[in-house]
Amino acid sequence: MRRNTVKTLIAKLALAAAVIGGGLQAASAETANIWVRADGSNFMPRIVDAFNKAHKDQIKLDIIPNAEIIPKYGAAAAGGTAPDALSLDLIYTPSFAAAGQLEDITDWAKSLPYFSSLSPAHVKTGTHKGRIYGLPFSADSSVLIWNKKLFKQAGLDPEKGPTNWAEIEADAEKVNALGGDIKGFYFSGNCGGCNIFTFTPLIWASGGDILSEDGSKATLDSPQLRGAIDLYRSMVKKGMVPEGAQTDTGANFFAAFAGGKIGISPSGAFAIGALNTQYPDIDYGITFLPGKDGGWSSFAGGDNFVVTKGTKKVAVVKEFLDFAYSLEGQTILAKYGSLPVRGDIAKEALKDLDPRYQVAAEAMAKGRTPYTVVFNDLINSANGPWTQMVNEVFFGDDVDGAISNAQETMQSIIDQAPQK
Amino acid sequence: MTTITATSAPARARTRAGVSRRQWVGLLYVLPAVAFVVVFFVIPLGMTAWMSLNNWPLMGEHAFIGLDNYFAILRDTRFWNALKFTAYYTVIVTIAIFAVAFPLAIFIERPRPLTNLYRTAFFMPAVVGFASASLLWSWLLNVDSGLFSPTAFDLGLTGKKVNLLATFQPAFWSIIAMVVWKVAGFTMIILMTGLQSIPQDLQEAAVIDGAGPFARFRAITLPLMRRTLALALILSVAGSILAFDQFYIILRGGPRNQTLTAVYWIFNQSFVSFKLGYGAALSMVLLVILVALSLIQLWLLRKPEGLD
Repeated sequence: MRRNTVKTLIAKLALAAAVIGGGLQAASAETANIWVRADGSNFMPRIVDAFNKAHKDQIKLDIIPNAEIIPKYGAAAAGGTAPDALSLDLIYTPSFAAAGQLEDITDWAKSLPYFSSLSPAHVKTGTHKGRIYGLPFSADSSVLIWNKKLFKQAGLDPEKGPTNWAEIEADAEKVNALGGDIKGFYFSGNCGGCNIFTFTPLIWASGGDILSEDGSKATLDSPQLRGAIDLYRSMVKKGMVPEGAQTDTGANFFAAFAGGKIGISPSGAFAIGALNTQYPDIDYGITFLPGKDGGWSSFAGGDNFVVTKGTKKVAVVKEFLDFAYSLEGQTILAKYGSLPVRGDIAKEALKDLDPRYQVAAEAMAKGRTPYTVVFNDLINSANGPWTQMVNEVFFGDDVDGAISNAQETMQSIIDQAPQK
Repeated sequence: MTTITATSAPARARTRAGVSRRQWVGLLYVLPAVAFVVVFFVIPLGMTAWMSLNNWPLMGEHAFIGLDNYFAILRDTRFWNALKFTAYYTVIVTIAIFAVAFPLAIFIERPRPLTNLYRTAFFMPAVVGFASASLLWSWLLNVDSGLFSPTAFDLGLTGKKVNLLATFQPAFWSIIAMVVWKVAGFTMIILMTGLQSIPQDLQEAAVIDGAGPFARFRAITLPLMRRTLALALILSVAGSILAFDQFYIILRGGPRNQTLTAVYWIFNQSFVSFKLGYGAALSMVLLVILVALSLIQLWLLRKPEGLD
């Protein structure tokens, strides 16, 4: 009996040694850690899984809440525990590069045979003083989505989305008249990031802007901005927008429409992938965000892929990016909510996919990205002037006061910004 | 004479050596605690003080700028507004917590049927973290899918679903309600221990002397609870001045930035605007204010002369 126990013990030890040995051997393949903001939580795990299955080197992915990824990265970088690379909201690339935080990848980037067909908006923000620090990873344009089922119920043509502001309001009103839990229109009324993405295109398409071309002047006091505000205010006043919109800091930006009880909502290309995979029952249409009397515009958003300065895993990271730029990688991205970032194979990557992507891809090609080094302070901060203004002008009583207050605050933030 | 000095000098030296050896042993015993305080308090505090003298961005190089951060604070009206709001919140919430916790403490102080059940029930929210409690309440307060507004609407109390978080007054009082729910149980336990430490015979003597319940409360209970009250008050005030989680998670400083607390502003400067040096300077200012307030409270609630 006792000898048996000893034998089993020896056997177990041998097994354990084998396991440990095997583990050591497997560790010779490198693992790189990358971060992505929550916006990428649909497509990023898919492409990482596909990469990990096909490669010896592995990627470990962490998904970080949108608002926390920048401070978390800064703290990690200061503590020496930054990820090897991250998929970074493209608007932040210049300030990260200027801070000396990123690896210069110019030579590698220019050696890519398809470098010239990578998304120009991304490459432009990824370039600092002539050197390249970020390459396009995911792309997202803003569009208008409508619920075809509700349109049909309301007696509207389900195949025809609104093409100007008057049509948005009229269509939303008809859907809203269905009553019950069904509402005509939805937007996140307390979210700066959501509204720079979906509200400013309404202004751009009508010929206005909120910042001057070089980002040195705030230009909020324009009739186009006033007009777009009046459109939203009118819909709020007529009860076409759910009460929760007033305090939505972005949590419901997508979820509200996905619930199937909203007629029209400004959204992004990401919604196509997210709706198709997570809410296949929703029948929806995609169109451009229109101007007051027609025309259209879009915000060119998405992520740049950047490499932390000094990381030892550059080879793995490049291997991963190569994979993402392959037709397989671009197709996975497109299928799960990002637009392709390689122009030369975009058509091919999209060809078997939902035709609604073509609208979003077209919007991306003509999309705009405001340029400013203080984007976070001005626009994204939950307590910044832009967020405060959109909330006040959509729901408050003093529209003029709110606009002039925001104009003043934004200008003073721009003036106090460090000159880089 | 000479013999005396000759014998007493070594003896004194021996005593001194004994004392100093005992002191060294004592120091050895407290060393772990000292190391703990140094590593987790003194060094971070020194680091903060040093950072506050620098222009210290989240990423990239930092540069020494002397007292410039502190001069900038003087002109930072939004910080002073945040401080004003924090003071307002502290006063209101402290009164509210004591108004709820004191009756509860009196209620559960003496053994009676189910006392343990009541004690546990009242204390339970105190063991929930502030962040988790805030997430819970941000769902309860949600206008579309929460508890309060939809229930009020379904019961016909309101004509439409009321968004409690959309305007200042309901939003502010919702937070007060949440904090009282969360903290009152803890304050109650502190006050209860104070109540229990009052000798029963004092109360009985007063009853024999014909003192009514109110007179006994004012003349015996309150004075004898001085120290307990001081502890509960300082904990409550310090906690309220450092309030952040609930305003960040439930309100995001809204509606319209009307509920930005001092710590929230420090957080914004440090991790939204990435000015860590300036955030450190603001923290130092807040620290000084907090220490001063605590000293004032201790002084106000000090033991009066002659009272044992």
